[in-house]
Amino acid sequence: MKLRSKVGLADRRRLSVFLALLGFILLCPPRSHAYAGPGAGFAVLSSFWTLLIAFLYSLYAFFVWPFRQLFRLLRRRNAYGKAQIKRAVILGFDGMDPELTERFIAEGRLPNLAKLRGQGTFRKLRTTYPAISPVAWSTFMTGVNPGKHNIYDFLARDLGNYLPYLSSAEIKGPKRSWKIGKYTIPLGGARIKGMRRGTPFWHWLGDAGIFCSVLRVPVTFPPEKFSGVLLSGMCVPDLKGSQGTFCLCTTRPSGDKFREGGVRVPIQRTGSRCSSYVPGPEDPLGGGSGDELRVNFEIHTDPGKNQAGFTVDSASFTLKVGDYSEWIPVKFKAAVGFSAHGICRFYLKEISPEVEVYVTPVNIDPGRPDLPISHPVTYSIYLAKLFGPYATLGLAEDTWALNEKVLDDQAFLAQCYANHEDRERMLFDALEKTQQGLCACVFDTTDRVQHMFWRYLDDDHPAAREVPRDQRPTVIQDLYARMDELIGRVMKQIDEHTLLLIVSDHGFKSFARCVNLNAWLHQNGYLALKSGKTESGDWFDDVDWSRTRAYTMGLNGLYLNLKGREREGIVEPGAEAEALKDELRGKLDGLVDPASGRTGITGVFDCDAVYAGPYVDNAPDLIVGYGDGFRASWDSVMGKVTSQIFEDNLKAWSGDHCIDPRLVPGVLFCNHSISEEKPAIVDVAPTVLKLFGLALPGHLDGKPWTVGISTSRSVAPSTAS
Amino acid sequence: MAPLLSARMGSLGVNVPSGIVVGISLVIGLAMVIVFSYTSDQKAIHVAKDRLKAHLLALRLFQDQIHVVLASYGRIILATGHYLRLAFKPLLFVIVPMTFLIVQLDRYLGSVPLSSGQFFLLKVRMDNPDSLDQASLRLPEGLISTAPPVHVPAEKEVGWRLVANKAGDYVINVQIADQIFAKRVIVGSGLPRLSSVRLRGRFWERIFVSGETALPENTFVEGIEVQYPARNITFAGIEWNWIWLFFVLSLAAGFLFKSILGVEI
Repeated sequence: MKLRSKVGLADRRRLSVFLALLGFILLCPPRSHAYAGPGAGFAVLSSFWTLLIAFLYSLYAFFVWPFRQLFRLLRRRNAYGKAQIKRAVILGFDGMDPELTERFIAEGRLPNLAKLRGQGTFRKLRTTYPAISPVAWSTFMTGVNPGKHNIYDFLARDLGNYLPYLSSAEIKGPKRSWKIGKYTIPLGGARIKGMRRGTPFWHWLGDAGIFCSVLRVPVTFPPEKFSGVLLSGMCVPDLKGSQGTFCLCTTRPSGDKFREGGVRVPIQRTGSRCSSYVPGPEDPLGGGSGDELRVNFEIHTDPGKNQAGFTVDSASFTLKVGDYSEWIPVKFKAAVGFSAHGICRFYLKEISPEVEVYVTPVNIDPGRPDLPISHPVTYSIYLAKLFGPYATLGLAEDTWALNEKVLDDQAFLAQCYANHEDRERMLFDALEKTQQGLCACVFDTTDRVQHMFWRYLDDDHPAAREVPRDQRPTVIQDLYARMDELIGRVMKQIDEHTLLLIVSDHGFKSFARCVNLNAWLHQNGYLALKSGKTESGDWFDDVDWSRTRAYTMGLNGLYLNLKGREREGIVEPGAEAEALKDELRGKLDGLVDPASGRTGITGVFDCDAVYAGPYVDNAPDLIVGYGDGFRASWDSVMGKVTSQIFEDNLKAWSGDHCIDPRLVPGVLFCNHSISEEKPAIVDVAPTVLKLFGLALPGHLDGKPWTVGISTSRSVAPSTAS
Repeated sequence: MAPLLSARMGSLGVNVPSGIVVGISLVIGLAMVIVFSYTSDQKAIHVAKDRLKAHLLALRLFQDQIHVVLASYGRIILATGHYLRLAFKPLLFVIVPMTFLIVQLDRYLGSVPLSSGQFFLLKVRMDNPDSLDQASLRLPEGLISTAPPVHVPAEKEVGWRLVANKAGDYVINVQIADQIFAKRVIVGSGLPRLSSVRLRGRFWERIFVSGETALPENTFVEGIEVQYPARNITFAGIEWNWIWLFFVLSLAAGFLFKSILGVEI
C-alpha cells in the first residue's frame, strides 16, 4: 500500500514535470508558433500600448514638471510660500447635528469626534438663512451670503407664471434643430447654465497653484473649470432631467399616481415570464412631443427559489426577493447616433402573488457622461473605471420611494450605505492623490438618513406612534457611529501639517407637524382663490392673482405679489410692500399651533436684513423660520392651498432643518484650536484661503478664524469603544 | 480537392492561399472569441481593463503631483501583469490545439514547393565529421546533382546542389556505409504538405519543424534538410507571410466578433 502510494506520488510528480515542460515548450515555441489566436493578440497588443502610453506620459510629466514649476514661479504663483498648512481636509457631513453629536459623544458612541473635541475644537457652526443645503453649501464654498451667490432654496419661481424651476442650474435643449417631417434633429448638445454665482474658494487656491480635489459638494453642477478635480454633488439631475424619478414596475393594477418622485409602470406577465420597461428621457427627435425613450427588460420568476432572472439590454442577472442588483448600464436609443447612457439598480420587491420591481432613478452614467458631472470630464470617468459605476444623481438616496412606501426602511438604508461606501472610496483615493492642497468631500448620507428616520428618535412622532419605543431601531445612532469611524480612518491619514475640518451645513430637528402657509395666507386674506374654490391645485392652480398679495412656495420663502415684478402683481413696491412685510411678520412670528399649543413659527426674517448683494432682488421677501417640530407642509411647498393650516406629518420624512436657522446650527470640529466662539459657515472659505497664505478677496462676507496651527502635535485616531 | 478548390477560387479572382488564410482567420477568430468567453473570468477582465484605464487617466489628471505619476506608473505595470494573467488563463485551454493547428497549417502555407529547373541544396548533418566522406546520394529519376558534394566539417555537414527536371514527389536516399536514409522532396506547385527537414530524436523540435517520421536512433545522421522557398501571400496588394496575415485577420475577426458577441478580451 505504501509502495503503491509512493509510486503514485512519483508518477504524479513525473506527470507534473511533464505537463510543466509541455506547457513551457508550448508557451515558448519557435518562431511564429508563439501566436495563439486573437485572444493572445489582444492581450499582448493592448498591454504593450498601455505600457507604452504610460511610459511616454510619465516621461513627459517628468520632463515638463520642472518647467511647469518654473512657469509658476515666473507668474509669482509661489504656492505654499506663505501657507501655514500643507493640506486642508474638509469633510462635510450634511445635516450633522451638534446636539445629537454631543449626546452621542457623551454616550461614548463617537470616540474620534470626542478626541477631536478634546485636542482641537468643537463648536456649533452658524448656518445661513434659510438653513437649506444648497444655500448653506453655496455660502460654504463662496464665503458670501446668498445675496451674492443667488441660491435661496432648491426652487426659485418664474415671475412670468409663478411656476417653480430648479434654482441651481438651468438645462435647455440645443439652440438649433432641424425638422424633417415629424422628426426634429437636434443640432448640438444640451445647454446647461449654472445659476449659482460667486467663486468657490478652490478656484482661488487653484489659481495660486494649490491642487484641489473636491467631491460631491452640493451646487457644483454644472462643474466649473478650475485647476483641480471636482465631482458634482447635490443638484445633478437624473437622465430624465429631474432630481430623481424612481420607477415601480408592477403587475398590481393601480391608477394611483405617486405624489412626486416616481412613476408606476405596468408589468406584462405570461406565466413565469414578465416584461416591462424603464422610462427614460424625452425622445430628442420627438420635437417636444413628450414621448419618452424606454429600455425594455424581461423578468423570469422562480417562486420556488424566491428569485427572478433579469435581462436588461445585454446584462443578465439574478436577484433574490429583497436584493438590489449592481448598477446596470442602460442605453436609451432614439435613432442611430442619438442615445443616452444611464445606470440604474433593480430591487426585487415581490414575485408572488404579484411581481413588483423597484428601479432607481436612471443616473447619468459616470463612465460615459452625457452631461458634464465633473471637472475635468475625465474625472468622473476615472472614478468609474477605478471603482466601477456609482450614483451620480445629486439626491441619490431615494427618499421619495421610502415616503411613498415603495421601499421599506431596510431597502432604503441599503441604498444609502451602498452610495456612501462608494463615496468613501472616492474620498480615500482623493486623500492619497492630494498629499498637498485641498481635499474636500461632502457626505449626504447623514442628511438623508436623519430626514427619514428621525421618527424613531422622537418620543411621539406621528409617523412612528405605532412602533413601541423598545422596538425602535437605532438608525441615527448607528449613522453617527459610522461617520465617526470614517473620521477615525481619515485621522490616520493626516499629519500635524494638515488642517482637518469636520463641518455640517445645518443641524436637524423633528418634523412632526406641517404648516400650510398658503392656507394661512388664504384664511387671513392675503391669498385669494378663484370664485367658488376653497382649495387650490398644485402650483397655485385656481389662485386669483388679481386679489393675491402674498404667496409661498418652496421651503422657507414668502413672496409678495409685487407690481412690476410678478406678472400679475398688485402690491406697490415701496411703502406698501414694506408695510405688508411688517404686517405679515407681526402676524406670523409666534404663530401657535392650536392642537399642540406650541409655537409653529419662531421668526420671520426680512430679506433686506439678512441678505446683501447684487442678487437680493431674486430673494424671497421674507424668510419664514419654523419652530422646533414644525416645517412647511408638503402641499405648501408645492404652492397648494388647503383648508388646514396645521396637520400631522405622517410620512417617513420625519426630520428636517428647513426651520428657524437659529435652531439648527451645524457642527465644526477641527484638529487645531479655533478661538472664535461663534463661527459661521460663511467663514470657512476665508479661513482656508488665509491658512494657505492667500490674500482674501474684498467681497467675502466671512471672517477668517484664528487657527492655532501647532505642528508639534497631531491628533491620533482612536478606535470605537 | 486542392486543384478543384484552386480552380473554383481562381475563377472568382481569389488567390487560393490568401482565401484559405482569410477563411481560417475568420473561423479561428470566431472560435477563439467563443472559447475565450466561456473560459475567462469576464468580470475580472472588465475590472482589470477599467483599472488600467483609470491609472492611465490618473497620469493626466494628476500630472503636477509627481508622487501620483510615479505611483500610477507602478500601478499600471502591476495592473498590466494582472490583466495579462487573466487574459492568458483562457489561452491555456487553446494554446495546445492552436499551436498544433498553426504548425500543421505552416506545412501547407509556410513554404512553396520547389520548381522544376530550380537549384536547391540538400544538407545532411551528422554526429561525427569523420563520417562526412562516407555519405552518398541515390537520386530518383528526374533529379540530378549538379556539383560534387561540399563537406563542411566545422558544421558536421555535407551538402549537394540538386535540380529537378520535372515536377514530382521524390524520395532521395542518402547512403552512409550500409545504411540508407530517405528524404522526401516535392517539386511542383499548389499547396502540398511540405517538410523541409527530417530529424533524429528531438521530439519537440520534430513536432514543430518536421513533417516526416524520425530518423533511426542508432545512426550517425542527425538530420536531412531541403530548404523550400518561403511562400508569400498577396493580400490587399501587400505580400505577406501567412502567419502575419493570419495574425492581422484573426485579430480583426476577433475584434468584430467580440463586439457582436459582447465578449470582453
